[in-house]
Amino acid sequence: MSLLGPLIMAGVGIMAVYLSIEEHEDQKILVVDENHPVFTSLKSTSLIEFDVQNIELDQGLDLLNSSDYTALLHIYKDYYKIHAGALYFKKQPSFRVQSQIERAVQLQGELLKLSEFDISESDYRRIKTPFIMQAFKYDAASESSEETSNLPAVVGIVFSILVYMFIFMYSVQVMRGVIEEKTNRIVEVIISSVTPIQLMLGKIIGIAGVGLTQFLIWVTLSLSLFGIGQSIVFAQYDASSLASNTNMTAEIAQEMDKELAEKTIRMSNDNNILNQIARVNFPLMIGLFIFYFIGGYLLYSAMMAAVGSAVDNDTDTQQFILPITFPLLLSYIASFVIFNNPNSSIAVWLSIIPFTSPVTMLVRVAFGIESSDLWQVWLSMGLLIATFITMVWISSKIYRTGILMYGKKASFREFIKWIKY
Amino acid sequence: MSDIHVNNVGKAFGDFVALDNVSISVPSQSIFGLLGPNGAGKTTLIRIITGITGPDSGTVLFGKNHTTLGYLPEERGLYKKMKVWEQAIYLTQLKGFTSNEAKDLLKPWFEKLKMSEWLNKEIEALSKGMQQRLQFAITVAPNPDVLILDEPFSGFDPVNAEEIKREILALNENGTTVILSTHNMNSVEELCSHVALLNRGEVVVNDSLQNVKNEHKESHFSITFSGSQVAFANLLGPNYEVLKMSENGNQVLALIKAYEGAQPMKLLSVLSNSFNILKFEEQLPTMNDLFISMVTNPSSSDE
Repeated sequence: MSLLGPLIMAGVGIMAVYLSIEEHEDQKILVVDENHPVFTSLKSTSLIEFDVQNIELDQGLDLLNSSDYTALLHIYKDYYKIHAGALYFKKQPSFRVQSQIERAVQLQGELLKLSEFDISESDYRRIKTPFIMQAFKYDAASESSEETSNLPAVVGIVFSILVYMFIFMYSVQVMRGVIEEKTNRIVEVIISSVTPIQLMLGKIIGIAGVGLTQFLIWVTLSLSLFGIGQSIVFAQYDASSLASNTNMTAEIAQEMDKELAEKTIRMSNDNNILNQIARVNFPLMIGLFIFYFIGGYLLYSAMMAAVGSAVDNDTDTQQFILPITFPLLLSYIASFVIFNNPNSSIAVWLSIIPFTSPVTMLVRVAFGIESSDLWQVWLSMGLLIATFITMVWISSKIYRTGILMYGKKASFREFIKWIKY
Repeated sequence: MSDIHVNNVGKAFGDFVALDNVSISVPSQSIFGLLGPNGAGKTTLIRIITGITGPDSGTVLFGKNHTTLGYLPEERGLYKKMKVWEQAIYLTQLKGFTSNEAKDLLKPWFEKLKMSEWLNKEIEALSKGMQQRLQFAITVAPNPDVLILDEPFSGFDPVNAEEIKREILALNENGTTVILSTHNMNSVEELCSHVALLNRGEVVVNDSLQNVKNEHKESHFSITFSGSQVAFANLLGPNYEVLKMSENGNQVLALIKAYEGAQPMKLLSVLSNSFNILKFEEQLPTMNDLFISMVTNPSSSDE
């Protein structure tokens, strides 16, 4: 499963990306233009073949039914006042196709209007100037600028989701293991050879090992598979299509200052998703992930072990799982809020409180932490360590009593009693 | 071999007093029966002796330094999906043995109890009896000084139970002290040299089996003879009372009670002059009877 998992995940991921880029739908669209002959020269695109016919809508719909047209585009009359239309499709086209249609019609409409204002097409292209903006972090202390973008933050969210998943999954596994040993009574046999605390910690550490190993396998396999997939799939995603995205034709590029042109093209290349991902500080993120995963996992699995020892079967655990994992869930939901404002007070608090910090601190770090705020990271890490040590101590007291007790209805009051034993 | 001294041990769980000033001595190389009704505190006491739980007060002292214990709990399970041989080695390793040492200790027991065929089977593939044999083997393989068995015979058919009894006796002869906690009074009669009875957390009896029986004997005699019941009764005299008399074919079975001043041997010679005596035996109380009487009538028990 450890090997199969990342293979499946990477496979699914690549398939999804590949399929979204590589559209195999060739659209053949019948265009009924109420403004005929305005759109007769509607330019076909890589995916769409436009066939402009001078017919009525009803005729067109019949034709749509009977022939191999994939859709019918109906452009309403009075285009320059209303500029609206409808698409009747046999099979739902993707958003990409739909936006291509919109752009084609819009472009055509604009080009035709140019002559009214006596503007040439090349002038028009110069007027259309999409503004490419890159964000730099300016550190007043060092007076240096650091390139930054939103993508690393998304990576941070991915890591925090992973932390949430892993902590949840593996601490529940600890609980299940504890219950299994209790219900099949092997605990009575083992407990005569080792102390309850050794048993509890052994289980927690063992499962942590499984979790970390699985995570490392996933990361390495996923990254290498993704890298391989990327070079195959994204080879088609080359500079020329990127240039067309910025509407920069070769001749305009010539007119610009060469250096500036290169820089602009590079910037738009850099905005390419994969290059941005490559800029994320992976060693730091992975290191922090491991720290927060271990810390959060130890904290939650200790609690889960205590719960498992107190109940007699799986179903009794339900009443405890929700209250215990609630902070995790809360931080998972909050991470999307924090994504928008990583330095808000809620973000700061959640990243310091040990029950929510594993998930939220990763998001904040992905955004970048000011050096003046670094103390928050240290505080968060220190608190996490202190809290999980305390929790392990408390849980071991509950565990060593609960593990041999059957039939008692477990409740928080019982727990307090057992802690005092 | 080792002896065990439990001194004034007390244990309470919240308001519930599980053990109240319990003191027992387990002589070295004895087979010690730990008896008592459910909830009497036997398992708690055993857990304190094995160190699983700590007492609130009192001490447990072992005669020999580093006494090793083997404990077979009443509720005993194994990891269902693990293979038999792996499980046995793992549990033995937990006691501190290396993998090879464990194999050497376990092999002879696997052969003795005829378990060699299922080394690679998963635990859940075994029947209950087989699992119990496995657990017994794992408990005794490390050759502990003291063996504590809690209801070892439950789940065994008579043939298997007999085999386990033989092994227990053999181990005992080799020097192992055995503590046997059970409701199976027959096994107590057959195996135990000493007994202690716990009831509601208190020690009711703690002595050798012989002494316990002798102290509670009620001077009952069982006589089997052929002849007239009436004539028999007449011969008895005032010092005896007939408790029961029944006919069995051409024999009569009588149960009589002897009072103070009676001389049973004299009675025997008198009776044998008139009757054909087939059996004349002092009825010592069975452990079953003693258990019931001591547990249901606490005021008549002695410490």
